[in-house]
Amino acid sequence: MRVFDPHVHMSSRTTDDYRAMRAAGVRAVVEPAFWQGQPRTSVGSFVDYFDSLLGWEPFRAAQFGVRHHCAIALNPKEANDPRCLDVLDLLPRYLAKDGVVAVGEVGYDSMTPEEDRVFAAQLELAVEAALPVLVHTPHRDKAEGTKRTLDVVRESGIAPDLVVVDHLNELTVAVVADSGCWMGFSIYPDTKMDERRMVAVLREHGTERMLVNSAADWGSSDPLKAVKTGHAMLAAGFTADDVDKVLWRNPAEFYGKSGRLDLSEVDVDPNAGFQGSSVRRGQG
Amino acid sequence: MTGPRFGYGTNGFANHRLGDALRLLADLGYEGVALTLDHQHLDPFSPTLAADVAALAKDLDRLGLAVVVETGARYLLDPWHKHAPTLLHADSEPRLDLLAAAIDIAADLGAEAVSFWSGVRPPDVPEDVAWDRLVAGCARLVEAATKVRVPLGFELEPGMLVADLDGFDRLRARLGDPEFFGLTLDVGHCRCVEPASVPDCVRRAGPHLVNVQIDDMRRDVHEHLGFGEGEIDFPPVLAALDEVGYRGLVAVELPRHSHAAPDTARRSLTFLRGAAWQADAVARITADPTAIRALFPVARRRCGPEVADDVRVGLLAALPPDVLADEITSLYRFGDPAEKRAVLRALSVLPVGDLGLPLVRDALRTNDSTLVTAALGPYGSAGLDAPAYRQGVLKCVFMGIPLAEIGALRVDDELRRMLRAFADERVAAGRPVPADVPMVLAGEA
Repeated sequence: MRVFDPHVHMSSRTTDDYRAMRAAGVRAVVEPAFWQGQPRTSVGSFVDYFDSLLGWEPFRAAQFGVRHHCAIALNPKEANDPRCLDVLDLLPRYLAKDGVVAVGEVGYDSMTPEEDRVFAAQLELAVEAALPVLVHTPHRDKAEGTKRTLDVVRESGIAPDLVVVDHLNELTVAVVADSGCWMGFSIYPDTKMDERRMVAVLREHGTERMLVNSAADWGSSDPLKAVKTGHAMLAAGFTADDVDKVLWRNPAEFYGKSGRLDLSEVDVDPNAGFQGSSVRRGQG
Repeated sequence: MTGPRFGYGTNGFANHRLGDALRLLADLGYEGVALTLDHQHLDPFSPTLAADVAALAKDLDRLGLAVVVETGARYLLDPWHKHAPTLLHADSEPRLDLLAAAIDIAADLGAEAVSFWSGVRPPDVPEDVAWDRLVAGCARLVEAATKVRVPLGFELEPGMLVADLDGFDRLRARLGDPEFFGLTLDVGHCRCVEPASVPDCVRRAGPHLVNVQIDDMRRDVHEHLGFGEGEIDFPPVLAALDEVGYRGLVAVELPRHSHAAPDTARRSLTFLRGAAWQADAVARITADPTAIRALFPVARRRCGPEVADDVRVGLLAALPPDVLADEITSLYRFGDPAEKRAVLRALSVLPVGDLGLPLVRDALRTNDSTLVTAALGPYGSAGLDAPAYRQGVLKCVFMGIPLAEIGALRVDDELRRMLRAFADERVAAGRPVPADVPMVLAGEA
C-alpha cells in the first residue's frame, strides 16, 4: 500500500512517527500551515514557521524516506488577530516557492467578518499563484459553515476542482460533492470521523475527488489513520486499486495541479544535513 | 512578451529518420522544425518527391509543427566537394535548381521561409565577379519566391562571401530591396563575427528578419556550441527578438550534435525556455520592481537548478538603485538557503555600497557552509572589517570549507596568530589540522 497523507502537521510529530509512517506505506505528505495550539502574536513567528515548513521539515521527512510538501496561509483562527494580519502581505513571496503545493488552511473558524475578508483575500492569492486551496471547515456549526464556505468559493471565481473542503462528515459531504470541489476527511482516534464511518461514506459517495487524511498534529491524533482507513477499506471489500486511488492517486492529482509536486522516491542520505544541522544525535 | 516559438534544425538529427525526429521534437514541446533538405531527409531529387512532400505536410500538421526550409546540406549536389556548387561558381545552375525546388517545396509545406547562403568565394573567382553572380542568382530566386509568396531568408555565414549584416545590406540594396528577400539570422554567428552586441545585431536585423537560428558561440570561432558553452547571454537576445516584433521560429542549430540529438534537444529546450522566462521576468521587474518578490523564488523551478543562481543575479541586476537595498534585504530575509546564497553572490555586482554587509554578517552567523562560503565572496572579503573577516576565515577552516573557495585571502598577523592557535588546539586534541592552515601560515595561500 502506498499512501500520500494530504493533510498532516508533521512539525508537531516525532521522528518515531515518521519511521512508523514510512514503514506502514506513507511515502508523501502535505503539511498545511496551521495554528500552534497557542496564539502567535507577531508576523515574525509566521515567517519562521513558513521557513521551517519549507526547510527543516522537508529535510526531516526526507531522512525517513517521506516526501514533504506544504500549504501556506494565514489560518482562520489567527485571521481574527490584528497583530497577525500583515502576514497576508508576505504570502505572495511564500506562495511562489518550490515546496508549496497549495494555499491552506484557509476558511472559517468562528465565521467572523475578519475571517470573511481573509478567506476571500487568500482565494484571490491562490488564483494569482495558480495554486489549489485547502479549506478548513469549522468544528462548530459545521453544516452552516460548509455552505457558507462553498458560497465564498463560488464568488471567488476559482475553479471548484482546485479546492478541497476538508474535515467533512456524513452530514456535510453531499453539498460539497455537488459543488465540484474535492472532499477531504480527517480521521481521528476518538472524535469526528473514524475509519468505519469513512468506509461507509466511500461506499455511498464513491472514490472520485475523495481525500482521506490523518490531520495529525500536537493534539491527540494518529498519523497512521490514513493507512488504517486503507486497511478498513480492504476489509470492507474495496479493491487494492480503490485504496490506491483514494490514498495515493487522488492526492497526487489534486496537489499535482500546482505543477510543483515531486513524488519521486527519496534517496535517503543518512549523512545529509540542513543548514549545518542534522537529525542525528550524538553521532555528528 | 508572448514568448518565442522554439524549433529545432533537422540537420542536428542526421542519424534519425525524419519522421522519428519530428515526433520526438513535438513530444519534447518544440513548436517547429528547420528542415534541411538532404538525401536522407526529404530528398528534393527523389522520384517520389510530390508524394513525400504531401505526406510530410500531413505529418507536420498532425504534430502541430511549423516549418522553415533550410538548404545547407553538405553533399547533396556534389559528393566530392562540400556545398558545391554555390551561387558563386561559374556553373551555378545545380544550386539554382535546388533552391528553386526548395521554394516550391516550402510553398507546398506552408513553410514560413526558405533559407540559403552565398557560399565561400572560390579562390579563382574575383570578388566583383562573385558579387555579380550572387546578385544575379538572388534576383532569379526572388522572382520565384515572390510568385509563390514564400519569404527568402538569406543567411549570413562566417567565412562566406556575405558573412555579416553590412554584407546583407549591400546585397539587398543591389537587389532593389525586394519584399520577399529577408534575412536568416544565426544568433551564434553574430557573436562570432559582428562588432556589435548580439541584441544590437537582432535590433538591426529586425526589419528584415524572417528566420532565426540559435546556438552558443565564441568570438572568432565558428563552432556551434551547446547552450552555456559559449559566450552569449541569451535572455537579452530573446528580449530583443520580442522588441523587434519577430514572431517566426527560433530554431536550435546544432548540426554537429546528431550523435546525442535527443538529449541535446531536450536540454536545449529547457535552457531556452528558462532564458525566455528570465527575459520576461526582467521585463516585469523593470516595469514594477516589487514583481521580483514572487519571481525570485520561481527562478529555480523555471530555469533549472544549475543556472538558478545566475538567473537570480540577473533578476537582481534589473532592480532600480533606489529600491535595491530594501528589496535584497527582504529577499534575503524571506529567502530559502538557495535564495539567500544568490543574494550574497550578487552583492559584488550590485551598486549597494555597504548596505549588503548586514546580510553578510547574518550569513556568517549560520552553520550553512554554502552561505558562509558565499558571504566571504569578493563583496564580503572587501567590505568586512578586519575582526569580522578573520572570524569568517577561521569559521571556514573550522567547518572544513576549503579556503580556495573563498577567493584571495586577506592574511595579516592576527589571522596567522588565530590559525596557529587553532592548529595547536587540534594537535593537542590529537585531531587532524586542515591542510589549508599550514599553507596560509607558510604564506602559500
